[in-house]
Amino acid sequence: MNEIPLEAFWLISAFLFTIGFAIILIKKNTLFILMGIELMLGAANLNFAAFNRGDTEQQGIIYGLFVLVVGVCEMAIALAIIIQTFRSAKLRE
Amino acid sequence: MNNIVFIFLAILTCGSALGMLITKNLLHAVLMMFLVMFGLAGLFVMAKADVLAVSHLMIYVGGAMILILFGIMLTSKRDILGKNLLKVEENSKLFPLLICVAICFGWFQLINLSKIGFELIPDDQSKLKQVGFLLTTQYSFVFEWVGVFLLIALVGSTFIAKKDE
Repeated sequence: MNEIPLEAFWLISAFLFTIGFAIILIKKNTLFILMGIELMLGAANLNFAAFNRGDTEQQGIIYGLFVLVVGVCEMAIALAIIIQTFRSAKLRE
Repeated sequence: MNNIVFIFLAILTCGSALGMLITKNLLHAVLMMFLVMFGLAGLFVMAKADVLAVSHLMIYVGGAMILILFGIMLTSKRDILGKNLLKVEENSKLFPLLICVAICFGWFQLINLSKIGFELIPDDQSKLKQVGFLLTTQYSFVFEWVGVFLLIALVGSTFIAKKDE
């Protein structure tokens, strides 16, 4: 079993992060922007997991789990806000 | 063998992410995000973080994607003129793409320049036991607060989304 070098994970994570950022800048839909944020969080998590391989105390995995929780909370609240704004916009029509 | 699987997963992830950027259809973007999340879970496995891979798969593919699909269903308007309302408008592309390409190449350059000597510990054991032990001993306080945080987020989102009379 040969190990995959750290740089490969770095490259993929940098690429994913920039694409998430580009989606946030370009698209004009709130759901799309939410998905871009999720991509960026995923890229950060990938870096944590990659660096965790050199750590005997597994700090990267534990921090990654917390990042996951925060991302899901943010997504739930953002969807609630989206639904509420949609409702009020429909009322105004 | 390891390398081939890694390259396949990398192409899957990056290609689907690019597709998300290119497509204008919201539903296509959600389906591509499914693929991105699958690929990311596979990459976590390649990084020897099996706990993270499984939780990522469960939370994102099982939970968050369903949530986004519900959001699309609840906020799509009624179709009157017969046009596709899932199409998303876009800002001008030139300037954001320039910024992002600059960031990406800056990062690659940084990776090239940095020479961190990071020895990898060859360890093919599952980390589930160790992570569970750490979460209930060393990080138990943080773990409790994550639970409280989740509760607050749940109550808050139901409060925001409720119909006010």
